[in-house]
Amino acid sequence: MTCQEFERVLTELAGEFSFEQERHLRTCLSCSELMSDLRAISQQAQFLSEDAEPSPRVWNAIDITLRQEGLIHDSSPVRSAPPGWSRWRPVWLVPALATALVISGVILHQRTKTAPATVSQVAASLQSPESTMVPEEEQLLKLVATQAPALRASYESDLRAVDAYIRDAESSVRSNPNDEVAQEYLMNAYEQRAMVYEMAMDRSQP
Amino acid sequence: MSDAKKPPNERLPEAEAIERAKQGDASAFEHLYNLHKRRVYSLCLRMTANTAAAEDLTQEAFLQLFRKIGTFRGESAFSTWLHRMAVNVVLMQLRKKGLAVVPIEETMGGEEESPKKEPGADDIRLAGSIDRLQLQNAIGELPPGYRTIFLLHDVEGYEHNEIAEMVGCSIGNSKSQLHKARMKLRELLKTSRAEKATRP
Amino acid sequence: MQKRARVAKVAVVFLLVGAAFAADEIRNEYHFKVHRHASVSIINQYGPISVRPTLGNQVIVTVILHSDKVKVEQGQGGNRVSVVSHVLPGADAESGRADFEVLVPADANVTLHSTTGPLRAEKLHGDVILEGNTANVDVRDLSDGHVHVKTLNGPVTLTNVSDGHVEITSISGDVALKAVNGPLVHVNSTSGRILYDGDFGDGGEYSLMTHSGDIDATAPSYASIDVVASSQQGKVENDFPLQPAHSSFAAKAGSAFSGTMGKAASSVKLLSFSGKIHLKKRNISDNR
Repeated sequence: MTCQEFERVLTELAGEFSFEQERHLRTCLSCSELMSDLRAISQQAQFLSEDAEPSPRVWNAIDITLRQEGLIHDSSPVRSAPPGWSRWRPVWLVPALATALVISGVILHQRTKTAPATVSQVAASLQSPESTMVPEEEQLLKLVATQAPALRASYESDLRAVDAYIRDAESSVRSNPNDEVAQEYLMNAYEQRAMVYEMAMDRSQP
Repeated sequence: MSDAKKPPNERLPEAEAIERAKQGDASAFEHLYNLHKRRVYSLCLRMTANTAAAEDLTQEAFLQLFRKIGTFRGESAFSTWLHRMAVNVVLMQLRKKGLAVVPIEETMGGEEESPKKEPGADDIRLAGSIDRLQLQNAIGELPPGYRTIFLLHDVEGYEHNEIAEMVGCSIGNSKSQLHKARMKLRELLKTSRAEKATRP
Repeated sequence: MQKRARVAKVAVVFLLVGAAFAADEIRNEYHFKVHRHASVSIINQYGPISVRPTLGNQVIVTVILHSDKVKVEQGQGGNRVSVVSHVLPGADAESGRADFEVLVPADANVTLHSTTGPLRAEKLHGDVILEGNTANVDVRDLSDGHVHVKTLNGPVTLTNVSDGHVEITSISGDVALKAVNGPLVHVNSTSGRILYDGDFGDGGEYSLMTHSGDIDATAPSYASIDVVASSQQGKVENDFPLQPAHSSFAAKAGSAFSGTMGKAASSVKLLSFSGKIHLKKRNISDNR
């Protein structure tokens, strides 16, 4: 058996050699060293450390996103939520509830003339009037004001712009629940808000 | 149970943390994240060789996990479930970037078949004395396709049939590329050692 | 004797000027030895960060601190280099400012964060991630790498960027893309204006999306695109004679157009909720 023939079958070997392969390994220093090196690489790879740690921003971003999606809530009084911070939200509030409300709103609208009022009441409950912000946003702005006061005004302006985006996108989904473009607008609007939150939290860290 | 009597999160058993997380408990989520963040991040970092991308992928993997945590029934270990999810997130990202997740069946040129050798590299022996840091660096220098297969098999411990399913190649291809990845690593480690030996 | 006295006086003047300079600004330089595909991260609250390529396997970070109210922490773990400026209590945007000039191997992956910026990167082949609040972001002559930009209000300009994925998210900052092509180009803005001037290179997926900003896309007559443009409340304009679209896109509301040009190699989406959209034809005589 030649060295080339030996190496050709190496890919299939799982530590079990034929008689001919064993004999080649015993007599060929080069292939023996090759096998030894490859085994060492494979074995050492198992012990590569896992001590690298992501920066705190990763958890912050996860936390913000999950809260926005209504998947998590604070339960411990020790970690008391800031006043006004939303305690509980239905799971998947914004996209799923918006879709459900659209569907129910459409059905109601088709059945009765008072439905538009119901839809608009529902829409109003999701929307904030232009002049006020939801409590979470007020909390975020307070945090920014504490850590980076010069940025508070621009963050407020950004949040208002993004809120307007979300309102328009939600309205569009309500009107056309199956419209992929409308859904894409909505997801983009949420991403934009998530980015504002993420950057505000980052800037607020020492 | 009153909140005041709750054990600190550090001592919270994983199974209990999972159940609490299913109810939306924020501290339970954070506990699960802290338990597994290093392993997931290390995997992402090795497969992408980029800290920013690794952080983004770590975030995405945990978000997917937490969104689906309600469906976890305990058929496999939680860490296995999370790990598999992280691998899929990374592979999807590599595909999106157009990087070679699936190693090519037939190599395109001589470069990967017979890598250039540094003078004196053949004289260097490796066995029994592989430095882990050098190995880590060498892994970072592998072509993406080789790196993926090597990490999944030798570092993360997946079998070839699992790898073939995850990356969309044949079992034979997975074995072949693993061998080539190891050969390439051997070459890189020898070159690195030869360079050190010739340094004044 | 007189000459000696004159030299001494000049030396004293230089020393005094130097001391005055040193009292206000402090210059530090850090060198890091790295391997291929190094990761370099610079976090700087106030002040510019500029990244350029250099030969050799090293990262050189030169930082000018504008006062003693800002400190720099630097470190290296394997092939990862991290430099962070820390602003001390009582500092403002001026006294807390640090100016960074960074030289990296061209294949390095670079991450830059700054609140005020500006942020600048050029002639690199690795992944580039830039994040700023009001920072002016200027990226030019990049290829093969992934380019991610996140900004709240700062304007973003990309020039001559190719063969990588480009993803830009801006709240109100305008985004200008000049000669930017690649397999994926995504811009997502709330109120910023989006300007694209290029040829929507072969086989890419281009998505320019804004809530209230306008979109101006200029392309040559030989562009090969499958384009969809829609504005719910704004006007849309198109200078090109489009062939019927491959997809069955039909805008549910507002104004829209869709169709193909050439072999429809690249897919192009121009979406603005309330802004105007104009797909312009570039004149051959335009100097680009």
